[in-house]
Amino acid sequence: MKVSLKWLQKYFDEPLPNAQEVADAYTFHAFEIEEAEGDLMDVKVLPNRAADCLCHRGLAKELAAILNIPLTRDPLREPLHMWDVGRPTLRIEIEDPKKCLRYMGAVVKGVQVGPSPAWLKEALERVGQRSINNLVDATNYVMLDLGQPLHAFDAHRLVERGGACSIVVRDAKDGERITILTGDEYGLTPERLLIVDGNADTPIGIAGVKGGSVAEITNATTDIIIESANFDGTSVRRTAQALKLVTDASLRFQNRPSPELCAYGMQAMLELIQKVAGGDAVGVVDAYPNPATLSPVSTTLSRINGLLGSEFTTQEMQDVFLRLDLPCKVDGETLTVTPPFERTDLLIPEDLAEEVGRILGYDRIAPTELPPIAGTPDQARYRGIERMKDQLVEQGFTEVSTQSFAKSGDVYLANPLDATKPALRTSLDENLADALERACRIAPLVFPPGQTPKLFEVGTVFPTAGEYLELRMTEGVPAWGKDAPTVDNLSIAKLEEYGKGYELKRYTLGTYQPFSAYPFALRDIAVWAPAGSDDGCTKSLIEQEAGTLLVRCDLFDTFEKGGRVSYAFRLVFNSSDRTLTDEEVNGIMAKISATLTKKGYEIR
Amino acid sequence: MNPGRPHPLTVAIREIADIFGRMGFGIAYGPELEDEFHNFDALNVPPDHPARDMQDTFWIKDQPGKVLRTHTTVVTSRELERMAKEGRTEARVIAPGKVFRNEATDTTHEAQFYQLDGFAVGPVGTVTLAHLKGTLECFYREYLGEGVKVRFRPSFFGFTEPSVEVDAWFTAPGKEGKWLEMCGAGMLHPHDFSSVGLDPKKVAGFAFGGGIERMLMVKYGIPDTRLIHAGDIRFVYGFEKKTA
Repeated sequence: MKVSLKWLQKYFDEPLPNAQEVADAYTFHAFEIEEAEGDLMDVKVLPNRAADCLCHRGLAKELAAILNIPLTRDPLREPLHMWDVGRPTLRIEIEDPKKCLRYMGAVVKGVQVGPSPAWLKEALERVGQRSINNLVDATNYVMLDLGQPLHAFDAHRLVERGGACSIVVRDAKDGERITILTGDEYGLTPERLLIVDGNADTPIGIAGVKGGSVAEITNATTDIIIESANFDGTSVRRTAQALKLVTDASLRFQNRPSPELCAYGMQAMLELIQKVAGGDAVGVVDAYPNPATLSPVSTTLSRINGLLGSEFTTQEMQDVFLRLDLPCKVDGETLTVTPPFERTDLLIPEDLAEEVGRILGYDRIAPTELPPIAGTPDQARYRGIERMKDQLVEQGFTEVSTQSFAKSGDVYLANPLDATKPALRTSLDENLADALERACRIAPLVFPPGQTPKLFEVGTVFPTAGEYLELRMTEGVPAWGKDAPTVDNLSIAKLEEYGKGYELKRYTLGTYQPFSAYPFALRDIAVWAPAGSDDGCTKSLIEQEAGTLLVRCDLFDTFEKGGRVSYAFRLVFNSSDRTLTDEEVNGIMAKISATLTKKGYEIR
Repeated sequence: MNPGRPHPLTVAIREIADIFGRMGFGIAYGPELEDEFHNFDALNVPPDHPARDMQDTFWIKDQPGKVLRTHTTVVTSRELERMAKEGRTEARVIAPGKVFRNEATDTTHEAQFYQLDGFAVGPVGTVTLAHLKGTLECFYREYLGEGVKVRFRPSFFGFTEPSVEVDAWFTAPGKEGKWLEMCGAGMLHPHDFSSVGLDPKKVAGFAFGGGIERMLMVKYGIPDTRLIHAGDIRFVYGFEKKTA
């Protein structure tokens, strides 16, 4: 949610602290800040608070509680107009009250469509919204201010019957089509909820997602119908997803704001229209079959402290609820909070503990060690598996880890990420063979001459009969017998006994050194060493001359003849940023040979 | 014969298991191919929750109700179920294991990765958010280094209430210290207990969960998470040698 500090400031008489302090206040007491620049702040409103905090009013309310400074005004606490229903200029019909929880419509006549006043344009542009015209801007402003999505239809584009327009909220018919405000046309199915001109039975909007172009506000518009409604979150989310049409409205509805909010949104909208476009509200109709109610939530001082591990007092807790504007009654140890309509997230005692914890600050929770627990922790099976690994490592095996997805198998994914690997592996065989092939190719980079890679993996496999943990090796261990298996089902092996009390080998790793993506080059060099030299100093000489492209230098042969010693080394060259050419490597070899010759070595 | 090498993830989980073992935590496993009930319903993730969409979770063809587990928190759920069956009111368990998410991969995201989940449960009032902080502070200090501090920020997870995001103050060698997001945590939601037959009026506890690869990347300076499960021995041998 993009928030403007200037917009937030409208809610406070006192000047707000600087942007950094505001960001910290949110971060440590409410929501993470994704990005902050100048007046703009992108607040990552948590899912359980998206019902009331995807708007400036909600975030101002939070800030008021965190910083303990009063709100100048709260539009959601102001008395609602007793609207004069007047002449029935609008009929509203909701087909399924589970999908449309409330629909308020207002008819406003004699508006003048035109550019928005500078303040309104600026306010919207500050949060990255484009100004369109005074009416559309007003709907957006109220949504960003209070969180209630709104829509305005041109009333003259709807068919009037008996002096009244008709709005019906119903499922789309199979094959029904609608062109939305962007000009794009969508084919619909019965899972999509529509706003329909009831007198003509034509769709004028996709409920909670986007308005249709048929009743679009234009410069010629004089009479409008304002929609302030509440649609089921799941239905809206599925529609937005299916049509790939995620809008500011759909994002809000999918988080289930309270249907009570509709009336406050409508009130603010009618006031704002008066200011920016004139006109007269001639009637407001409210279809609200099942008014929403929230139940009080009770908890106790000791229950909150027992959950948080804190020693907060009743006074401190009461103060938290006061700051959050949550009416709270205290009776001895018991605290009872009656959530205001927009706080749909407060349902169980633990929710109240969270309010106390986050507002007073988690930095006030002192880290405490767990008391000792009776008995030894059960890690036997784990240790059994790890003991198997230790045995193999001791026998020269290297452990690898590979992906669980495979080209084919017994179990297939309904929605694979990689279409070439739609199945779950039935064995580690294929991945291990691939890993071995690659390991053999790059072996000189990691192993001394003469050592060939031997690999193993422990991982879950998924044959028809059911998943199990497989251990697989690329070859057998001669010491374990010629017929010792190279694969084992660790899910049926009795590893608990094998692991009980086993002390795992510990390894300490240093910093990671990325390997090169480019091919390496190999060269051998054999020399007769002069008297008084040994393999170590010979190796140092080579390394000094070779420079940084030499990544490995291994002695692989030594022999004596006629009182002289010969050493043979294998050199591995690799660059982190290019493929080495033969000329380049040969040049280095020539330099090494020259230096060695100068030092009394004889190149063989 | 030269010994081979265990995979760095094995090395990491050994350290983790050792530290938590000393704090009384056992180790548990569970299936990677899970059922919807344990992976979602039992953990207070309602049927119409976005996390259950095809775009986040891998579902299994021709096996409705089966998913690749999206978190090892599901092992917590299975362990709580076991506690209920065995009539216990106290347990401490960690569950390191592979999990799956249907999301695009990049240097910090993989569709399959390892998670470390853990929980401590006891009679109401004996395991608190303060114990969570103490436990994680002890763990990160031992795992990442003495200077590590831990802080909580408010967060939201369906299966914990309150929920927190856990940051650790870590100074990588040669770099300036900074706060890093390490895991999500909180106090187990009453639903987690009641859904598997435990009484939330009698037991309470904390739970935490975070990516193990992330810990490895932070500790050793690994630049790309995709290196870890690529089956490449250059990765396994890519660490400066230190004596055991």
